[in-house]
Amino acid sequence: MKKLILARRFSQVFFLSLFIYILWSTGRTASLFKIDPLIAILTSISERVIIPGIIFSIAMLPLTFIFGRFFCGWVCPMGSIIDGLGIKAKNRPLNLSRIKYYIFGFIVVLAFFEIQIAWVFDPLVITARFISLNFIPSFTLAMDRAFIFLIKLLNFYAPLYDFYRGLKSSVLGVKIYYFPHSAVTMGFFLVICAFLFITKRFWCRVLCPLGAMYAIIAKFSILRRRVDECGRCMKCKINCRMSAINEDMSYKKEECVLCMDCIYDCPVRGTRFGWPVKAAKEQGKAAISRRDFLFLIASSFLLSGFKNKGASGAGKKLIRPPGVLSEREFLNKCVRCGNCMRVCPTNGLQPVIFESGFSGIWAPHLVPEIGYCEYNCNSCGNVCPTAAIPKFSLARKKEQKLGLAYIDKDICLPWSQNKECIVCEEHCPVSTKAIKTYEEIIGGKKIKKPYVDASLCVGCGICQNKCPTRPERAIKISP
Amino acid sequence: MKGSVFERLPNKKISRKGFVKLCGIGMASLALDNALLKFAFGRDDVSTGRVVKRIKGLHDLVAADGIDPYAITVKAVEAMGGMGRFVKKNSVVLIKPNIGWDRSPEQAGNTNPYVVGALVDMCFKAGAKRVNIFDNTCNDSKRCYENSGIEKIAKEKGANVYFVDDWNVVKAKFSYKSPMEGWPIYRDALECDTFINVPVLKHHGLTGLTLSMKNLMGICSGNRGLIHFDIGAKLAHLTDFIKPDLTVIDAYRVLKRNGPTGGDLADVFDMKTIIAGTDPVLCDAYAAKLMDKDPLSISGISQGVKYNIGSADIAKADVLIINA
Repeated sequence: MKKLILARRFSQVFFLSLFIYILWSTGRTASLFKIDPLIAILTSISERVIIPGIIFSIAMLPLTFIFGRFFCGWVCPMGSIIDGLGIKAKNRPLNLSRIKYYIFGFIVVLAFFEIQIAWVFDPLVITARFISLNFIPSFTLAMDRAFIFLIKLLNFYAPLYDFYRGLKSSVLGVKIYYFPHSAVTMGFFLVICAFLFITKRFWCRVLCPLGAMYAIIAKFSILRRRVDECGRCMKCKINCRMSAINEDMSYKKEECVLCMDCIYDCPVRGTRFGWPVKAAKEQGKAAISRRDFLFLIASSFLLSGFKNKGASGAGKKLIRPPGVLSEREFLNKCVRCGNCMRVCPTNGLQPVIFESGFSGIWAPHLVPEIGYCEYNCNSCGNVCPTAAIPKFSLARKKEQKLGLAYIDKDICLPWSQNKECIVCEEHCPVSTKAIKTYEEIIGGKKIKKPYVDASLCVGCGICQNKCPTRPERAIKISP
Repeated sequence: MKGSVFERLPNKKISRKGFVKLCGIGMASLALDNALLKFAFGRDDVSTGRVVKRIKGLHDLVAADGIDPYAITVKAVEAMGGMGRFVKKNSVVLIKPNIGWDRSPEQAGNTNPYVVGALVDMCFKAGAKRVNIFDNTCNDSKRCYENSGIEKIAKEKGANVYFVDDWNVVKAKFSYKSPMEGWPIYRDALECDTFINVPVLKHHGLTGLTLSMKNLMGICSGNRGLIHFDIGAKLAHLTDFIKPDLTVIDAYRVLKRNGPTGGDLADVFDMKTIIAGTDPVLCDAYAAKLMDKDPLSISGISQGVKYNIGSADIAKADVLIINA
């Protein structure tokens, strides 16, 4: 019985399921990233603020000091997916583990220059984005279609239909979410999975900056591996998914994710993990040399070109979520986790691709034709882990202006064709109506022609969403 | 019993030709099954509307005033002759309230939940097998259902409250020329034995007031904004298509300005009245009168009279007013 491996697998499945469950239920999604020190600390550094919940992520650091990189092997959802997919993958020794420190170093240095790019490589964010924007929408869509097929085409109305309706209001969701540009997030995730063709846990060994952050602490961790008896068969070394074991049976503590494989690979059962009896000598080389570190700092300046790309003019084309004031601050704080897009009840928040420059990729914007900003809702601010979308009370959120509506009189039915319509006025959620009307009598009929009162309009976009003209809407929100 | 199921399966290889054949036979039999099932239980995708029953109440219209919305709803329906008159044993009832907006009951954007609750109770007392409640909402449907309070109360009383499915519709077919021809209507609105329309009386920018005929827009799918053009005739034809058996107008809390969304409690006043009747046009006309408006100035009512769907002549009608 490989008890420890079973325990590790159980823990991986448990945390991955928990991760998906939390994203699915949309209740406490902000709390997910509170245990992620990379995101929490670096966003705080780059924005010079203490983001809420940072204390939880700092608590992860002493735990790592005790146990080592247990997070990577036992908790990380990305690690679990990579392990699950990579069961049959080949394991090859690699000597590239230094790269992840460079990546981590880049991110830290840039954070001091007020540029936050932790989101590009943070594994929790990548997995959350994949689950929210790809996995959940396609899974629910497939389930929905299967039910519709059974009900409609095979005529199983009555009990099955009631069951389907119950599912719809609980698990499945009333709305099947749709993100037109989510293929890019999918592609990014697939590339990371495709590294499995090179070796097991390639991502964790070579690229992951969160892993690097934990590795630096894990180097000094208390829990350690001991080899009491050895037949020099090298099985543990060959099988180690992190290539953490050295030729002389010592190991790189900063690389070990405590997967426990080496305990059971050993034919003489000579390996075990335990607390130190007496202070052991530090083993292994430094993770990154002084020369490399200086090189890293110097080369980081080259990346400063990243800065302000999103903030310059181009970003103003987009309607940002409610309460977002400065484009620069928003792009810096936003970690692109996709939480806001997952909870937006109308599906209106969508990931940006390149509209606001390279540094603005995957940040949310409102697409009124897909969904508007629900007036009585402040969910996006509530779930944002870094307060890039501020957390406002409902009353304060209602005052936030996302943009301003304007009417294209060439398309608008009352203006261009003297037809009665004013659907925009009907739906306007502001209690005194930001859309007013002129009355004109044409051919004995009273026609009401809408206009926008700019002082009242909050730019929620419901008018654009409900406007019946096609293909273009007669009323649009400009940011 | 040795080995797993897979080991016990016959180890037979299949040729490419055999595989193609097998797939073909499988698909053909599925298609045939499908066709047979459709033939046996298939439902039309086109409907000519509900079958008329024309059940008359004891009066043409009853208006009940009082403090408790639940009690006056019961009083109004009892004065019409009781729910047993409209709901037969083991029948399926559809109650269509207005749940269009993400508003609380106090803001009067939706039908009062207690009015809906009273109707559900009465339907089950009259022996209904099933009571369905739905609305095609304007705001996010989950938020509307929850914040209106209707979902909670109706579910407690045993009704089926569910969200609409845009794939489960039929196309409307009229015997006369109609602008609503071919409009997708939710199937459940037609496949019910009794249709009870429960609108809330409130202000509306385009039609002046939103009433029982306008409330029927909630059973329409599709790009509903287009109904607003020539809305009077469209609502009249829609009412004729559905022919509601009973209309109960909630005028308990009334939104007098900035409708149909409202949101400001200063725009709401308490009228504390429930109107019940079998003629949708007459009910609308009476409600318009309560709001000091000329019934014929509201396009739905004037077009309803024009197409002979009901009468708007309150003076001639048998109206009973109850003060509880």
